[in-house]
Amino acid sequence: MTAAPPAATYRPARGARRRTVTLVAVAALPPLLSLAGPLIAPHRLGTPVTSPFATPGDGAVLGGDLLGRDVLSRVLHGGTPLILGALLVATVTTAAATLTGSLAVLRPRVGRAVERAADVAILLPPLLGIMLIALAWPGGGRWAVIAAAVVLGTPYAVRVVAASAAPLATAGWVEAALGRGESTAYIALREILPNLRATVLTLFGLRFVEAVYVISMAGFLQIGPQPPASDWSLMVRENAPGVLLNPWAVIAPGLAIALLAVTVNLVTLSLAPDTTAKAVHRA
Amino acid sequence: MTPTAATRRAPAPAAGTAHRITATALRIAGVVARRALLLVVLLAVVFAAVELLPGDAADAASERGESAADLAARRHLLGLDRPLWERFADWMTALPAGDLGTSAQGQKVTDLLADPLPNTLVLAASAFVITVVSSLLLGCWAASKPGGRGDRIVSHLSTAAFAVPEFVVSVSLLLVLSLWTGWLPAATVTGGDGRPATWTMLIMPVLALAVPQTGWNTRVVRGALADQASAPHVEAAHLDGLPPHVVLLRHQLPGAVPAVATGLATSTGLLFGGAVVVETLFNYPGVGSVLAGAVAARDTPLIAGVVMSAGAVISAVLLAADLVRHATLGARA
Repeated sequence: MTAAPPAATYRPARGARRRTVTLVAVAALPPLLSLAGPLIAPHRLGTPVTSPFATPGDGAVLGGDLLGRDVLSRVLHGGTPLILGALLVATVTTAAATLTGSLAVLRPRVGRAVERAADVAILLPPLLGIMLIALAWPGGGRWAVIAAAVVLGTPYAVRVVAASAAPLATAGWVEAALGRGESTAYIALREILPNLRATVLTLFGLRFVEAVYVISMAGFLQIGPQPPASDWSLMVRENAPGVLLNPWAVIAPGLAIALLAVTVNLVTLSLAPDTTAKAVHRA
Repeated sequence: MTPTAATRRAPAPAAGTAHRITATALRIAGVVARRALLLVVLLAVVFAAVELLPGDAADAASERGESAADLAARRHLLGLDRPLWERFADWMTALPAGDLGTSAQGQKVTDLLADPLPNTLVLAASAFVITVVSSLLLGCWAASKPGGRGDRIVSHLSTAAFAVPEFVVSVSLLLVLSLWTGWLPAATVTGGDGRPATWTMLIMPVLALAVPQTGWNTRVVRGALADQASAPHVEAAHLDGLPPHVVLLRHQLPGAVPAVATGLATSTGLLFGGAVVVETLFNYPGVGSVLAGAVAARDTPLIAGVVMSAGAVISAVLLAADLVRHATLGARA
């Protein structure tokens, strides 16, 4: 094997930062576009502008849905609840996991409890869990799905953080802090947590993708958003019978979900340092 | 054969053999017992969760104009007036005899699941087999030229694939394979025996389940092979001048097996969850529709039966992965 020329060791540092900024911008684009969607939607949401399942044309760029409402306007509106919900789930799960995970490496008993919880959670297919929790809270709608996604996702996330934090628990500076007699909370928050930045960022990205998956699957099963609402997964479900007449009523929302999940996933994993991506993956 | 593999498989001295067999049996029994215990805990949690749902099976099955006394009578008939732990204990003790209890509608749960469960198992198992084969092929192909164009394409495609929900994959397949080309039927027609009428009706549901899981597992295979690439015995094999594909298949892949087995095992739960959605979309006669009905009717025994079946299958696959890990890593696990 040949050694890399010395110049090459300096250049990637600057290139890498520019690459990071570009990639983050790429990942932020679909969410921002769909959050801005309602502002540029050409038609009102609830009023039919054309005949049911009408083909594109006649003022409706993507045709009409099952009631003849404008597909484009509904797609532009339908992303906001999904994205905000997924952001909320990702934020809460990551925050809870980071705190518990940093504690778990200092307190072995917490660590073992987390391991067991994750072992049990893995036996429950996520969708079964969502159905149970969402139905335990009838009328909970979106909030029930969000709560379910947080409850079911946290054990895995804690396991990931604990795995990345484990080597830190024996680090010299942590032992020094223990020797100084610092409290567990201080060590977890001030000594361990700051060193988990890369893991936490990767985890946040992947939890967002996972939340998009869970919320849209629940929406497709009509747990959460109910019919008059404009929601991407609901649109796929309710327009599926007319897919032959106006395929765009199904393709457009499906494509929007795929685009959102795929860009965030690709960017998160290509930004993650190799070791972090691996740790997050193996959980 | 690498030096490490050779020493690991060397025959043991006769005196230690009996002792070693006992130790192995004990370890395997421990692994099995742990999986069984986790399954029991899950069932207890589900039982309690269903109990927390507002309303019960007697309400759900009630008809208009029934008096409170009728309701109480039905509640007694269904055994709902007994404490939760007593019902759970009854249900658990009947389990070893293959009895999943009686649903709120008065039918045997085993009868209700007799037709749909095998259908779902066929669907999920076919998707699992396709996932195993294609992720191993793609992962090995990508690892054969690390950093090459193929590697990068596989890496990006697999990352993209596992982010997409199954119903989006299903709809795309439906559009391309059924509506535009007309190659495959769009919905499943159930034959007289409760199974899909022809096997071609399985193609799209199976693909819809397999694509996201293949994406995930290809990444796991590729990552595990990359870990092995820097192992001393792999470097030694390269220095010995063995052809790259031999090093990949005979020296790198065996070491990657434990990680790959774990990755594949975690896919089982996702395959089951995905199956519920895919069955709805393709009108496939599986447990998806049974489950939706059971949840609406607050039918605890039926829900527990479905969770039990899914949990048992997932436990079995996880157990298989545990045993594979034990077999490859031996006492080091």
